Parts: sequence; C-alpha cells; structure tokens
Amino acid sequence: MLCRPAATAIRFALDAGEGMTCEVGAMIAMTSGMTVNTTSKSRGGSGGIIKGLKRMFTGENFFLNHFTAHQDSQSLLIGPSLMGDCIHHSMRGGTMIVQGTSWLASTSTIDIDATWQGFTSALFSGESMFWVKCSGAGELFLSSYGAIYPIDINGEYVVDTGHIVAFEDSLQFRIGKAGKSLVGSFLGGEGLVCKFQGQGRLYCQSHNPPSFGKLLGPKLKPR
Amino acid sequence: MEAEIRNRPSFANILVSLQPGDRIVAEADAMASMSSNIEMTTRFNGGAFGALARRIFGGESMFVNEFTTTSAPGHIVLTQPFPGDIACINLTGNTLFLQPGAFIACEPTVKLGLGWAGFRSFLAGEGFFRLKVSGNGRIWFGAYGAIFVREINDEYIVDTGHLVGYEPTISIRVGLAGGIFSSFFGGEGLVTRVRGQGRIYMQSRSFDGLAAWTNAHLF
Repeated sequence: MLCRPAATAIRFALDAGEGMTCEVGAMIAMTSGMTVNTTSKSRGGSGGIIKGLKRMFTGENFFLNHFTAHQDSQSLLIGPSLMGDCIHHSMRGGTMIVQGTSWLASTSTIDIDATWQGFTSALFSGESMFWVKCSGAGELFLSSYGAIYPIDINGEYVVDTGHIVAFEDSLQFRIGKAGKSLVGSFLGGEGLVCKFQGQGRLYCQSHNPPSFGKLLGPKLKPR
Repeated sequence: MEAEIRNRPSFANILVSLQPGDRIVAEADAMASMSSNIEMTTRFNGGAFGALARRIFGGESMFVNEFTTTSAPGHIVLTQPFPGDIACINLTGNTLFLQPGAFIACEPTVKLGLGWAGFRSFLAGEGFFRLKVSGNGRIWFGAYGAIFVREINDEYIVDTGHLVGYEPTISIRVGLAGGIFSSFFGGEGLVTRVRGQGRIYMQSRSFDGLAAWTNAHLF
C-alpha cells in the first residue's frame, strides 16, 4: 500500500492464475500480462444481472472488473476515485457489511452482494439503504474519504452517521440519539448516531463527505 | 485528559482519552465516534445572545457539545469537515483570534467569545467577526491544507483566505498585492497585511480557491 493516508494506492503482485476483483474505474496501471474481464457476475458464476442491479442500489457499479494474470510476476496498481485512505482486511469466513461506495477490491474467493439494512436505519442514519455484503475467506480492500481507523468493539460503541466504513455482521447496530435529550442532540449538530453492540471489528473514517459538501455547496454557482 | 492528533497533515483528527471527570468542549458535528459511556450535553455557546451572534456573524454554530464521562474511562474521536491539518495551542491567560470555521475543540476552562473584526477584515473576505478564545487550557483548531506558523515583528503579507488565526497584538489591513494592474491580473487581487508583533497561523490551501476552481470546471 502506497502513499497513505492522503492519496492511497494499492499495488498487487500477481502470479499466473491469480486474480483480483475490482471496482470499475479503480485500475491505475498494470503490466501487460494481465487479462481484464468485465461482467456483472462475481468470479465462479454466481450472481448475474440481479446481483448487478442490486449492486447499483448500493452506489457501486453494475459491473465488476476481474483482473487475472496469465504470466508470472505481474503487477496491478489500483486506487479509489476520491482522496483518502485504503485498508486491507483479511477475512476468514464470516461476513463484512461495507458502506456503499467504500468497497474497492477483493480476491476472487469473496462473494460480493448487496444487502438491505432496514428502512428506518437508512432513513435516519443518512447512510445508504443498501450496503455491500462481502462474505467468504480472502483479502478485502476498502477505501474511504479521510483516514480509516479500526475499532475492536466489545460491548457498545457510538459512531456519528456518515463515518462508518464497514463492520462485521457479528455487530448489531441501531439508531439512537447522541445526547441525553433528543432536542439537544439535534441542536448540537450531532443529530442521530449509530450505536453498535456486540463483538467484532468496525472501521470508521475520520472525515465525512457530506459535511465537506455542505460547506462547498453554497459556494458553487447554480447550474 | 490526553489528546493525540493523528493522520497529519492531510486528514488530521483528534483522539481524546477521557478519564472520569474530564470534560472537553467541541464544535457541533465534530464528533466522529466515541465510547458508549461518554455522555454528551449540548449548550449555547457563550450565552443565548452571544450564540446567536456567533451563528449569524461568526459562521460558527450556535451550540457546542460538551463530552464527559462519569463512570469508566473512554475515548472520543473529533474531526473537522476540511481535509487538512489540526493544531493544538495551550493558552496560558493569553488570547487568540480564529477565523470562522477554524475552531474544533477546547478544554472547558477556555472562554469562547466573538470579537468585532471590522470592515477591513470583511473586505479581506474574512468576515465581520472573528472568534476570540482566551483563558487557560488547550484549544484545537483546523485548517484546509497544512498549517504554517510565523512570528511577525513588523509587517507581513498573506493572501486573503489563507489566514487562520492570529494573536491580538496583530492588526490587519487590506491592501493590493502590487500595483493595480499586477494585483488584478496577477491573480492575487487583495491581500491581507498583518502588522505588529506576534504569531500568525496560515493554511496552505484556500477554501474559496477550491470553490473558484470547481466553479470554473462546471458546465
């Protein structure tokens, strides 16, 4: 992983037969001994058009790019479109719930699907209604706007909406108010927060694109 | 209370470790995540009238949040909307002026107020008012880009939009960067002339500069 945390890029070293599944548009450069295969399926044939459509709801692309090396010692360089950090998470089975636009790449052994996190949580959390569900064993790469920091939760933890990158599905989350009183929470600018409960790994991002957009938006000319 | 500024300079954020009884005051919406035993209370920022003035003229939010823990130790992560650096200053009875939007957090012993900055400041694109922090304790402020510090003992020229904070011994004047022609065609336009003895804080990027650049690329 290069140039952390401001403009992170990831370089993979691949041997013949090895492959990565990446977000469309993530590739920066690669050596010539690679083949690219664009489908709506994840590797191995599961999924198809339905999964592609579901993925579109999460804010990801309908298509996925599969990069496969057909010679030894090839390299692939990928990066997200926004400024920001990337992390590497090794999965050993289990499921990781990833915020819509944060999924960047994973090894072909991980299954990527969209998941529905419930209407109320989506409506009030300011997060997307659909999340990307990654399950299986393999390597997972996530991106964010801002630096990413991991939190190992054992009990309860509070995250402001818009700062979640991904979490293990052993964690339950519900929407709560930030302070003691509801009025205070809203006036205080924190509004509603996500309260995680259980045991597992959570990734947060240090910065929040909507807050930045709220400042920049009024300065832009109308179109 | 221990605080660490992480991920500098591009995406700085503050990790604050609170022991029972410790308190920290933060700008509205500065909290990114925190332990569940930390309690948040919201209050007016310097009285109802002062808070209203700050909201309308200072470009800051009317409310601040106070975070505390009574039972067990906990931590909280505070952040700012801009991608950039965060600086921490320990006030020992002295005063510092901050531009609107720069303030992130302070210890509860620090007093937050609004000071009239004058028409000159307004012309410089810095607004009529500035935030005045005084008292004893640490304050944290953020910037868009990296933060530079410079000791001034005479006169110094800063482009408008790059000044983040300054000490009260510094006076501010708006002037042209050069002659009329070079000022407007050289892209510098108006500049801020700071004069006096003291310290100033500058940011390496201007938010208005980003807005202007983005506007130029929209169709």
